[in-house]
Amino acid sequence: MKEKKSAVNERGGFIRRLSPPPEWRTPVLILLGIFTGLGLSTFYISNAVSYLSDDPAACINCHVMVPEYSTWERSSHGQKTNCNDCHVPQDNIFSKFYFKAQDGLRHSFMFTFRMEPQVIRIKEAGKNVVQENCVRCHQNYIHPLSLRAINNKTIHYDDETRCWDCHRETPHGRVHSLASTPNARIADKTARVPDWIKKELKKK
Amino acid sequence: MSSIQEKIRQKPWLGWVLFLATTVIVFLLGLFASSIVERKNEATYTLQMVKPIADWEPRNEVWGENFPREYESYRKTLDTNFASKHGGAAMIDYLEKYPELVVMWAGYGFSKDYNQGRGHAHAIKDIRNTLRTGGNKVSPMPATCWSCKSTDVPRTMAEVGVAEYYKGKWIDKGQEHVNPIGCQDCHDPKTMDLRISRPALVEAMERQGKKMEDFSRQEMRSLVCAQCHVEYYFKGKDNYLTFPWDKGYTADDMEKYYDEIEFSDWTHSLSKAPMLKAQHPDFELYKTGVHADRGVSCADCHMPYKSEGGVKFTDHHIQSPLNNVANSCQVCHREETSDLIGDVYERQDKIEEIRRLTEKALAAAHLEAKMAWEAGASADEMKPALQFIRHAQWRWDWVAAANGLGFHSPVEALRVISTSLQKAELARKEIALVLVRHGKQYPVALPDFSTKDKAQALIGLKMDELRKDKQDLLNTRTKEWDKIAKERQGTLIEY
Repeated sequence: MKEKKSAVNERGGFIRRLSPPPEWRTPVLILLGIFTGLGLSTFYISNAVSYLSDDPAACINCHVMVPEYSTWERSSHGQKTNCNDCHVPQDNIFSKFYFKAQDGLRHSFMFTFRMEPQVIRIKEAGKNVVQENCVRCHQNYIHPLSLRAINNKTIHYDDETRCWDCHRETPHGRVHSLASTPNARIADKTARVPDWIKKELKKK
Repeated sequence: MSSIQEKIRQKPWLGWVLFLATTVIVFLLGLFASSIVERKNEATYTLQMVKPIADWEPRNEVWGENFPREYESYRKTLDTNFASKHGGAAMIDYLEKYPELVVMWAGYGFSKDYNQGRGHAHAIKDIRNTLRTGGNKVSPMPATCWSCKSTDVPRTMAEVGVAEYYKGKWIDKGQEHVNPIGCQDCHDPKTMDLRISRPALVEAMERQGKKMEDFSRQEMRSLVCAQCHVEYYFKGKDNYLTFPWDKGYTADDMEKYYDEIEFSDWTHSLSKAPMLKAQHPDFELYKTGVHADRGVSCADCHMPYKSEGGVKFTDHHIQSPLNNVANSCQVCHREETSDLIGDVYERQDKIEEIRRLTEKALAAAHLEAKMAWEAGASADEMKPALQFIRHAQWRWDWVAAANGLGFHSPVEALRVISTSLQKAELARKEIALVLVRHGKQYPVALPDFSTKDKAQALIGLKMDELRKDKQDLLNTRTKEWDKIAKERQGTLIEY
């Protein structure tokens, strides 16, 4: 054993040690290619790059989020916000992507192993982020003093009172489950004009 | 050195470990990839069709078998109980309410009959019943009038070709149109995606270099409405349905467009002015308003999300949002219902005030112009006055004919109707000068047109004949249409 170790040290690093002898190189390269290709195609099929964006369409790569998407889209928040505005921290880019990665990994795990519940409910960490984000935009309306004057509560999450304890409809509505928006789907943009009209237009 | 090869030679089990590990990883990666594909496919099965819908299915009740909630709410457009202060779903006889309109439309179909439109499901019944479409003996309207009334339109257009579809008389194509405005007008039967079914909108957009594919989903929620709720005209002798949007969407832009091509819908029978009839530029007026600026679509207010038990769906009871403030206005505006309705009425009342002044001025202008002709005025003398009348009535109509009495854009509506009032009064000034030049006193005494009956008699309409002819049509022709249609499609229900 000792002999071998020193031999490795002499001949250079770990990668070198793994590299196959010349006569094996071609089959190994092909195998590695298959491996990488399979990985890349999984990456592509899963639309992985979209998760770096703020586009709400990324959140409905998994169809179980469609009820959330549809209710948001038709709410007053549908015009000015995207999912990330509320559901990931917005204080700095590191905490944003850290939270996103953490949340996303959990979501993809649950979805892949079909562990999603019929009624998806937000976790504690998510609640805190949303509450922070309510405050971030609506600061002007919820001055700590005025809010305390109304209901003797503070705006922060330390006392377990959240904005949506009262604003229960905002923005996803009160009732939601995987079955709550049965026909909601994301439309195909390319099929908006039927073929017979396209043909007519060409005639002109 | 010991290469892997040597190592495996020394310990053969290491080779097996490598082999198995690679197998497991590739196996799992494959499973993972296929699971992603599988779960992606699940999304395409969102639509659970009990009975697949055929490509040209015009019967709304057949679509309804698959989408009972949407269909049941659509059927509520039959309900005519809701009346707001200025609109709603109940019939209003506008000619009775504003007899000036009869004088303003002398020589044109609208002077015979003009009502507040009822819900979509009434479309076939109402177009058959209106005196404007005539009877068996006299059928004055072109086939183009069917274009917005029925889910049968796309099928018929695709069969005969668009230009051919518009040709001919309204009465000759009744058997093709029996199902009222409904599902197929906005939806793809396979995917339920929003889809355009009328070529006029696509053509108007193409002329502006816009493709339907470029619009956002939110914009589509207005554009499907803009297939019909827009200003349009019938181009050429074959009445090709065309939107006058090439210069822009405002009343002023369209006025320029019509002036340039010297288009007129009819020549006024009293004043001889070359008139324009505005249809219902709801979409264009809405585009100038603050709701459009903020990205609110037609469907957001007229078809809001609705909860039934635990299920949410788009309410297909398309109606005045004032009958459903909680789901429409209050999604964004957290004010009391009565306050919100009060805000709408306040704006509408102000528009109504100017609108009524304008109608009185315009009716007077037409009658005074008639007197000027009788006093011996020449065409040259009358030209400026008639141009003012044309523009004034166009602008009045642009606001008056749009649904919602200007609420789609109160400030723009008030601007346009104000310029209308100004032009109507300028017309009267011109006519006064002509009258005085021809030795007449001004102001002149106007005849009595204080009720619909009086006004219709004044412009020489023989209402009894029109009503009798219409009744003939309803007793004979429309029954034949239904019979032919029933044979064609198997079933036919009356809405």
